[in-house]
Amino acid sequence: MKNKNVQYVTPSGLKVEGPTGLNKPRSQYTPFNFVNGLVFVVVCLVILIPIWKVLIDSLDLTTGYGVKLVPTKFGLAGYATIFSNPSLLRPLWVSVYTTVAGTFLGLALSTMGAYVLIQWDMPFRTLFANILLFTMIFSGGMIPSYLVMRRIGLTDNPLGPILLPAINVYNLVLMRNFFESIPKSLFESADLDGCTPMGAFFRIALPLSKAALASIGLMFAVAYWNDYTNFKLYITDRNLYNFQMKLRDMIQSSDLPEVAGGATENTIRNACIIVAILPFMLLYPFLQKYFVKGINIGAVKE
Amino acid sequence: MASVVSNGALRHEKKPLGMRMRKYWGFYLMFIPVLAFVAVFHYAPMFGIRYAFYSWKVVGDPKWVGLANFEKLFKQSQFSVAFANTIVFSVVKLLLNTGLAVVISLLLNEMISLKFKKVSQTVIYLPHFMSWVVTASVFSLILSPSESGLVNQALIKLGLIDEPVYYLADKGWWRVWYYIINVWRETGWQTIIFMAMLTSIDPGIYEAASIDGAGRWKKMRYVTFPALGNTIITVLILNLAKIMNLFESVFVLQNDSVKRATNVLQTYVYYQTFNSGASADYGYTTAIGLFRSLVGLALMLICNYASKKVRGRGIV
Repeated sequence: MKNKNVQYVTPSGLKVEGPTGLNKPRSQYTPFNFVNGLVFVVVCLVILIPIWKVLIDSLDLTTGYGVKLVPTKFGLAGYATIFSNPSLLRPLWVSVYTTVAGTFLGLALSTMGAYVLIQWDMPFRTLFANILLFTMIFSGGMIPSYLVMRRIGLTDNPLGPILLPAINVYNLVLMRNFFESIPKSLFESADLDGCTPMGAFFRIALPLSKAALASIGLMFAVAYWNDYTNFKLYITDRNLYNFQMKLRDMIQSSDLPEVAGGATENTIRNACIIVAILPFMLLYPFLQKYFVKGINIGAVKE
Repeated sequence: MASVVSNGALRHEKKPLGMRMRKYWGFYLMFIPVLAFVAVFHYAPMFGIRYAFYSWKVVGDPKWVGLANFEKLFKQSQFSVAFANTIVFSVVKLLLNTGLAVVISLLLNEMISLKFKKVSQTVIYLPHFMSWVVTASVFSLILSPSESGLVNQALIKLGLIDEPVYYLADKGWWRVWYYIINVWRETGWQTIIFMAMLTSIDPGIYEAASIDGAGRWKKMRYVTFPALGNTIITVLILNLAKIMNLFESVFVLQNDSVKRATNVLQTYVYYQTFNSGASADYGYTTAIGLFRSLVGLALMLICNYASKKVRGRGIV
C-alpha cells in the first residue's frame, strides 16, 4: 500500500505533492473510517442497551437480575396483566382517544389558522398574526392557566388535556410556511372560477399539503400520546389518568396492579414502558421522513 | 415572520375597509375558532397575572397585598436555588447537546457506508419519541441500586465500585445523570438540523479543496466549520430564548431526597401550589410565575435582537 508521491499541477496553478492515483477513489479501509464506524457502533449501543434491557425484563418472569442479554425465564405474563387489568386498560384507552381527538383538532386549528395567515391582502391579517405570535414570547404562567381551567370546568375533565394542547402556535406557523409554498396563482384561478375560500381550502390547500399534514399530524400525535404535564396539572381523578400518568405512578410504586400469571412487579413495570413506546416505535421506521421533515420545514423555510 | 407585506394593495386603488373585509368574510369565519382557543388558553390566563399582587389561600378570597409576594420571593433561599438551577441546567445541557450534536453530525457526514449511516441516524433519533415519563422510568430502573439496576451491577462486575450507588437520590450524581439522560434523549435529534446544513454544502467546494491539496482535516477546517458556524449560533439563540420553560424533564426525574436541591422555577411553583396543602398561596406562586415569564420575555427579546443581527431575521 506504499504510494509514490508525484507532483500535480492543479487547475488553479498550484503545485501539489500527492500520492499516485489521486483521481481514483480512495481506499475505504482507512484507520479513520474504521474508528468512525466504531464510534457509531458504540453510540448506537449506548442508545439501544437501556431500551433492550427494558424489553427483555418485560419478557422475563424472574425479574431482571443482573446483566444479561436474553430473558432467563421467558413469559408474556407482564403483557397479559396489562391487557386483562381494567386499572391498566382504562389509562391506555384514555391515551388512545385523547391522541386521536387531539390530533384531529390540532390539525384543524393549525390548518385553518395557517390558511388565514397567508391571505396577504386581508384586512387585520397582521393583527391576527401578532395576536398568535405574542403567545410565543409571553405567557400567564402555570398557576393563572390552572385557575382559568378550573374556572371553566376543564379540570378533572378529559376535554382539558384534549383542548388545551390543540392550539399550538409553533405548529400553526410551520403549517403556514408550508401553505406559503403553494403557488398563489392556483388560489387566484380558483377564485376566478367561483370557488369559495372554504372550497379552495379543501380542494387546493389541503390536498397539496399531504406531506406537511402527515408530519405536523405526527408531531401532534406524539405530543398527545406522551402528554404528562397537562394531565398532572389538570387531572386528579385516577379514572381519567392517561397511560403516562399511570406508568409514572407504577414506577413510583404507589399503585401496582395485582400480579397475574407468575409475573413479578418488575416485569409489569417494564412491560408498561414497552406498551407506552410501542405505537411510535412501530410507526417510526416507516414514517421517519415525515418526523424529520417537520423540523426542516421550520428551519429551512423563511 | 409576520413582516412580509404584500405590495398588491398599493398597486391598485384601495377600496373602503368594509368592502375589503366583506370579500374575506369566509376567512374571518375560519379564524374564529383559532381566536377562541387562543383567547381562552393563552390570553385569559394573562389576566390572572393580577393575582401576583394578591394573597389567595386555597380557602378564602384573594386579598390585595401589593408587592409583598415579591419581597417574600427574593428572601426565600429556595427561590434563588430554583432560579439558579433553571439557568444552569438549561445552559449546560444546551451547550452539551449542541456540542455533541455537531461532533456527531461531522462524523456522520464522513461515514462511508450509506447503509450504516442510515441505520445510525434511525437509532439516534429514536429516544426523542419516548416521553419524559418513559425516559425517566427507563433510567430509574437501570440506575436503581437494587439487583436489577443495570448500571450498578455492571460497575460492580467491572470492579469499579464495591457497593451499589443510589444515583438519583444523591444531589451530585443526580445532576450528572440529568445531563447524561438529556444527551441520550436529545443529542441525536439535534443532529437533524446540522445534517441538513452539511448536506446542503455544494460538493463542488470539497472537490475544489481536494484539488488544491486539502486533506480531510483542512476541508473540515476551511469549508465545513464556517458553513456550520451560523447554524450553531442560530440553534443556540433559538434555544436560549426558551430556557425558562424547563419543567417536565426535571420534574419526572426528581424524588423526595433531591427535590429541594434540584428544583427549577416551574417545579418550585408546582410543589408550592399543589403539594403544600392549605398553606399554598396562589398569589405567591403566581408571582414566581410572573417573574419567570418576565425573564423569559427579556431573553426572547435579547435573542430576537441577536438573531436579527446574526441571520437577518427574528425568531418569532
